Amino acid sequence: MTFVQAMLLAILQGVSELFPVSSLGHTVIVPALLHWRVDRSAPSFLAFVVALHLGTALALVVFYRREWLAIVRGLARSLLRGRIGDDPEERIGWLLVAGTIPVGILGIFLEHPVRALFGSTATVAVFLVLNGGIMFLGERLRRAQRSGGGQSRPLQALSLGDAVKVGFAQSFALLPGISRSGSSIVAGLLLDLDHADAARYSFLLATPAIGAASLLEIPRLFAPDARGMLGESFVGGIVAGVTAYASVAFLTRYFRSNDLRPFGWYCLIVGAGSLLLIATKVIT
Amino acid sequence: MKALALVLAIAFFVVAVLYWLPNGPFGHHLKHGILFAILGILALVWMRFQSSAPARR
Repeated sequence: MTFVQAMLLAILQGVSELFPVSSLGHTVIVPALLHWRVDRSAPSFLAFVVALHLGTALALVVFYRREWLAIVRGLARSLLRGRIGDDPEERIGWLLVAGTIPVGILGIFLEHPVRALFGSTATVAVFLVLNGGIMFLGERLRRAQRSGGGQSRPLQALSLGDAVKVGFAQSFALLPGISRSGSSIVAGLLLDLDHADAARYSFLLATPAIGAASLLEIPRLFAPDARGMLGESFVGGIVAGVTAYASVAFLTRYFRSNDLRPFGWYCLIVGAGSLLLIATKVIT
Repeated sequence: MKALALVLAIAFFVVAVLYWLPNGPFGHHLKHGILFAILGILALVWMRFQSSAPARR
């Protein structure tokens, strides 16, 4: 992989990790489309991916730094007090803990078998189409709820059980082509959150999942086989972080008054287009 | 519920240690062990919340 390819992948990762379009799906389809020779199992590439995820997680922490500080304080307060109080940040903190449990368990046990089973370009394209369908279905069900008189509730009004449901939805992103943020935003919408709060919870929930997964893989960065790409990994991590920060800044504004449908169309078009290119052997 | 939380915490910590053993029954898996240790801590947190008196309004 050349330096330019590495930087393009870093930009792609930073953007597509937070936009509800599946970063994993894009990092499979784009190199295949451009006929890049990327050995996804090479130690140097795995180290590079760890650096990109670290950069993304760090960008999320920096963007939500005030909220994280308040959440950590709230968690400590409730531990000392021995009960969860009514403070919004305290409640959101425990919602994040509950929501992270499913992806922690399923991620550790299922990540490798699922990716080995569904990692081909064709299955990624199918899942990308499915991802688009999930977003359209989510928006449709949401509109049906609203037309039936349902009102939005604030994020802190979710129960711990609701948080676990969103966490399970987030776990669908183990399937390459299904978006982490897309599935968790849809789950949040179906639990009566508005788009802005569903997106905020999705991005906050992504931080421990991405951060912990990449922190545990840090030794890969310094493995002897990975040293060849240490420079690309370092710069790529920064590039992914900057683009992830810009993406989350854009999306938090976007979801104040917009919905998931444009991303649904994007996934349908890219997924269907990729299937067409695979059928015509343009993508192999 | 407090007793259940304690039993779960102990069980999770035992599984964590078994994952960390070089020749344990499940094989050596550092990340699996960390996961179960975190679940053990969460079970202790649950026990702590059970121990406190219910909130007064």
